[in-house]
Amino acid sequence: MSRKAMLCLIAALACGPAAHAQQAAPAEIKIGHVHAASGAYASISMPVYDGLKLWIDQQNAGGGAMVKPFGKKIPLKLISYDDQSNPGTAATLINQLITQDKVDILVADSGSVLTAVAVPIAREHKMLLFNPTGTGAPFFTKDNPYIALLADPASTIWPKYLAGFLTTDGVKDGLKRLAILYATNDFTTTQANALRGFVKQSGAAIDIVYDQGVPTNTSNYGVLINNIAAAKPDAVVELGYVGNDIAFLRNLQDAGQKFKFLFALYPGVETDEVLKNVGAQAMDHVFTYVTSQAIEYKPNVGMTLDQFREAFEKSYKGQGVEFGFNAIAGYHSGLMIGQALADTDSLQQLDLRRALFAQSGKVTTLDGTFELDDTGAQIGEITPLGQIIADPKGAVRNVVVFPHELAAGKPLYE
Amino acid sequence: MLLHAALSGLVFGFYFTLVGLGLNLVFGVMRIVNLAHGDFLMLGAYSAFWLFGLYHLHPLLSAACVLVVFTLVGLPLYYLVVPRLLAARDSEMLSLILFFGLQQMIEAVTSIAFGTTERSIPGRVLGSGPVRLLGQALPTSWVFSAGVSLAAVALVYVYLYQTRLGMLTRAVMVSREEAVATGIDLHRVCAIAFGLGLGLAGIAGVFAPFMLGSVTPAIGPEINIAAFAVIVVGTLGNPLGTVLGGIVYGVSLMLMQTYLSSWANLLPNLLLIAVLLVRPTGLLGRRVRRA
Repeated sequence: MSRKAMLCLIAALACGPAAHAQQAAPAEIKIGHVHAASGAYASISMPVYDGLKLWIDQQNAGGGAMVKPFGKKIPLKLISYDDQSNPGTAATLINQLITQDKVDILVADSGSVLTAVAVPIAREHKMLLFNPTGTGAPFFTKDNPYIALLADPASTIWPKYLAGFLTTDGVKDGLKRLAILYATNDFTTTQANALRGFVKQSGAAIDIVYDQGVPTNTSNYGVLINNIAAAKPDAVVELGYVGNDIAFLRNLQDAGQKFKFLFALYPGVETDEVLKNVGAQAMDHVFTYVTSQAIEYKPNVGMTLDQFREAFEKSYKGQGVEFGFNAIAGYHSGLMIGQALADTDSLQQLDLRRALFAQSGKVTTLDGTFELDDTGAQIGEITPLGQIIADPKGAVRNVVVFPHELAAGKPLYE
Repeated sequence: MLLHAALSGLVFGFYFTLVGLGLNLVFGVMRIVNLAHGDFLMLGAYSAFWLFGLYHLHPLLSAACVLVVFTLVGLPLYYLVVPRLLAARDSEMLSLILFFGLQQMIEAVTSIAFGTTERSIPGRVLGSGPVRLLGQALPTSWVFSAGVSLAAVALVYVYLYQTRLGMLTRAVMVSREEAVATGIDLHRVCAIAFGLGLGLAGIAGVFAPFMLGSVTPAIGPEINIAAFAVIVVGTLGNPLGTVLGGIVYGVSLMLMQTYLSSWANLLPNLLLIAVLLVRPTGLLGRRVRRA
């Protein structure tokens, strides 16, 4: 073979894959998702869906998302089915997305209950599950590379600062008798377990005087509140979904019962929704988590909190979906999908995983710093302890009270 | 704790009497199962939410409006679907399928119209602070809702036992064929009972935000399960039994929450199974229904 022919062959071989890749670029990237447009989890699922859809619409308005292996922007197609808050339906639809629609990216529904069914199916089909908010501890194991928690910390991390406060400042302030009431689902049961564990590990002089689980569909807390009061706790921690917390806080106000320290989960997660249902007075002085809707991070990817809130409310005004943490989670999930597509070597699932994990610790969005551990659990985004402060006009703000380095105020007890 | 649980259960049970009353009236008169009952209750809740948000209408006035409107809506709805069901060979089974479809439609349309977030009316509208009964503090809104429920039950009894139309209704409940044979206008009696059933569900819905914390378009099926437990325990087709069923349900639920809280959501199913195994006719049985 002549030297010229050899050079031509080498050039052809070198250019071949690129030319092939250009030809093989798909017309669209299919993002498969399930959401709950009705049923018990619709109020935490629809904001995630809307936030994700907003990101996809924005990308498509600019020609699509950059996909590295093809060196160009490719339009995104969202295929999202309504699982009606039914785990069985969600499982069927996840299967359909993988086997029939053959999606490139698989995104779970919001919350641990509906994510739980998707985890084994994604693993079986070797599809990376982009998991917005399913935080249950059992989802994350070292032998399963096909899951990544995107938008909020694993449930084992959530109560870290709450427990930190109770076992240090709280004990000093006389919070020595603790009551825990939780809804029996993966999300809040894991948190209750973690809280107990943190308290026990600390060796602090805290006595758990009430510790009960209730079904997640509990809508009446009158008797439970009376039973908690009978145990004479100094601090009460109530962990539930948004409907649970609304019912709990309303029943507490209706019963005229007060506790020195009261923690509820959702006032800091879906603040607007809880405010509309229970009013500022019932939320005043309630301790809660501080999520990204109350903290202004400086994102190096995507919109700021104010920009996103404006865009969200403009897009979905009057559709009955409140802005809150879950809306941020949906948008943030989109951002991380975009980051993975922009950095992946191919659309193979393990390449997508590598690209997504490569963002760990480098990307900050309006949701905070994205950081994964080796099981795919989110550990970067934090949930400091805050306290809701109501003003006379009926507005509320969530003030960080712990840890000290982030604190913007001191805790106020009833 | 026991006294508080029992008292709360009693109050809660009175409310659930109202929840089950409309369903039982419809079944008792027409022998059809309205699986959309919980969704009409949900619509009552959204009506009250809407009326309060727009006009600050007190729930009591909303309840009166809802009773009238829902009853009137029930009349054409009856003539649209029920006569065909009654003419069918297996009307009970067909009614399950038909009203299940209606239930899905109502939930979907409400989700589109109002969204899926939780909705409620401030508890202070029915009075602030607790009420003390036998030394126990109970929310004013609960006591108020229970009072309205008892008033609604009383009105149903006045209708059934003190009016001519009520007498005709009871005649249909005892034997549809004999009632028709004596010249009773079956469809007129049934249409009014159907409308009243929806109206009662609507009233129960008005007070649902106070008893259940908040409502979403998805509460219907869960309400149906509780309502079924109440009326099966009491006696299917017997409105008086609904009161007893409501009390048994309410007190049992509060005792479960006190002593076995994690299992409280099993209660409706446990009650249904227990009654069907031990006393399939319900606690009051057929004798009272035919009295």
